[in-house]
Amino acid sequence: MSNETQGAGIGSADADMKRGPLGRWVDSAIKNPDKVYRAMFYVAMLFFLVTTLFPFYWLLVLALTPNNLIANMGLVPKGFNPEVFIAMFDRVPFHLYMFNSFVLGITTTVLVLLIASLAGYVFGRLRFPGKGVLMLGILAISYFPPAAFLIPLFELFTGNTAISIGMVTISTPDLFNTPAPMVFPFSALFLPLSIFILTTFYGQIPDGLEDAARVEGTTRLGALFRVIVPLSAPGVATAGVLTFISVYNEFFFSFLMNNGEADSWAPIVAGILKYQGQFDTPYNLMAAASIVGVLPVAILVIIAQERIVSGLTAGALKE
Amino acid sequence: MATEQQSGETFSDTQRSGPYASAVNWMESLSETQFAYLLLTPALVLLGVIAVYPLVSTFSMSLFADRLTGTARLGEFVGLQNYVDLFTGARNYALPSQFLPTFSSEFPFVTNIYSSALAVTLIFTVFSVLFETLIGFGQALILDQDFRGRRWVRVAIIIPWAVPIVIQGMIWYLMFQPNIGFLVGTSENPALLNQLGLIGTTPLRNTADALFLIIVADVWKTSAFMALLILAGMQSIDRSLYDVAKVAGASRWQQFKLITFPLILPTVLVAMLFRTIDAMRVYGIIQTMAGCQTVPSLSCLVVTTFNTPLYGTSATVAFVTAGIIAVVVSVYIVNFASEGL
Repeated sequence: MSNETQGAGIGSADADMKRGPLGRWVDSAIKNPDKVYRAMFYVAMLFFLVTTLFPFYWLLVLALTPNNLIANMGLVPKGFNPEVFIAMFDRVPFHLYMFNSFVLGITTTVLVLLIASLAGYVFGRLRFPGKGVLMLGILAISYFPPAAFLIPLFELFTGNTAISIGMVTISTPDLFNTPAPMVFPFSALFLPLSIFILTTFYGQIPDGLEDAARVEGTTRLGALFRVIVPLSAPGVATAGVLTFISVYNEFFFSFLMNNGEADSWAPIVAGILKYQGQFDTPYNLMAAASIVGVLPVAILVIIAQERIVSGLTAGALKE
Repeated sequence: MATEQQSGETFSDTQRSGPYASAVNWMESLSETQFAYLLLTPALVLLGVIAVYPLVSTFSMSLFADRLTGTARLGEFVGLQNYVDLFTGARNYALPSQFLPTFSSEFPFVTNIYSSALAVTLIFTVFSVLFETLIGFGQALILDQDFRGRRWVRVAIIIPWAVPIVIQGMIWYLMFQPNIGFLVGTSENPALLNQLGLIGTTPLRNTADALFLIIVADVWKTSAFMALLILAGMQSIDRSLYDVAKVAGASRWQQFKLITFPLILPTVLVAMLFRTIDAMRVYGIIQTMAGCQTVPSLSCLVVTTFNTPLYGTSATVAFVTAGIIAVVVSVYIVNFASEGL
């Protein structure tokens, strides 16, 4: 309104009067290009928010709709059935699969942090011949596909690999359906990233602090675990969070190195796939289980956002 | 007080006799190089047993024929015959999906492209990495701005990256399962995507459609990773460059083209290389969304032949996959060595 009267009052022959709100916005945007950038920015942000979050909303829609009503679904649930989050545990002991995933994740994380701390100390703080070659070798190995390791590891962990020491031949113990055939491959897969993160952090601690601890009479290992590791707590947390998430998300060995039963330490991979029944496909239970399975990592991402961002970027940029 | 007590303790530690003290003394007497290799032992043993030994063992298995009967896992030694058979197509009769596509002398020169594990893997790799880079770039540009709620937008963009692969597969299976939702219609009542000709009415059972959707699902999950790397690259740019550009009258597009893009290009290339290596081993998302029969990737072929069991063939495909990735890795290492060392 004010625009119209103003335009008419000044008497400029501009066609301002007939424009609606959009027309006025375009008009002012032409005068001020920053407004266009601002608008483009909000449109793009909205687009990315919708595309990343819609799949989760779709899970919620399917979970809340009773299974017999799931057909030609629109954007809203047909009905409201929160009991699905109880029914999903009746069909498959999903809590046990999640427990297994946590145990595998925590065990691997502890093992990786321990081994990577020693290696990170060596690469970050010591000088010795062969350092560059070893770092590149560890990096290169971590990029080989798990498929290239599958057959020998399967043989090794099912007790079919014979080791000959002189005259004595012993075959490896059958560890299939225990955590071992998953924990060790996971550790090897995710060890290099942690080594590189910790190398960066440990390398930044001033030499003086370590020297002071050594003068006080601390052993070499004591200096590492009492001085350097505590001072690098953010780096250790970053490596730990990333390792845990990676293990929780892993598919290849999680799927192939167990028989898929909850009491054989199968993680959530098997749990989710088990909802696919022989006689029916309970879409609502599948969606509910997916929501429950995502929650732990979603919470971890919200809490440890800064750590994840710094770890991913440090790990990749420093390499 | 506290430090005194502590140092007293450690002092008495070293004085104490017994296996612990002698281990400590031995460790203290090592040279720096010896100590370094001692601390690296656990890492090297783990990687040796879980990665190096299997890689060598896979190669040696690939030199043996498949054993179809009997209890032994492998047949007789055949040298490189498995590799020859794989690349000439002589082994195709035994494989669930062929390794190379069938070549012909007429246009378009290649047939059966979707039944070839190598072709499917390469198509997946090229398109997913390309679109992840583009979308990651867009997301990074958004996150580089200052606005209220930036933290939460960043969470929203990162969360798909943290979704377990099996759940990612389940989500996209549930979105594109026919008759469930509005994304896939029937032939009488086609949905928008069907009308556009992007997918058919049973997209997860058709190789081309399923491959397309698997690429989309992978882009959904992984572009956040690209976005974070590109964002880190953007934020390491010296802000005063932009001030100078503004004073000189450069438009935002010119600032992007002349400052941002050239300075983050190295970061983007490294990130693309990481993603390429990762995409070449795609398996889980295929297994959960469409199954290895529908979309045969190289890792799929390794697992299915391993289950058949055709150990010799499986090891051959596995080692070829590793070899292809090794070529990509060595490109990176050569670059790294020439710049960084």
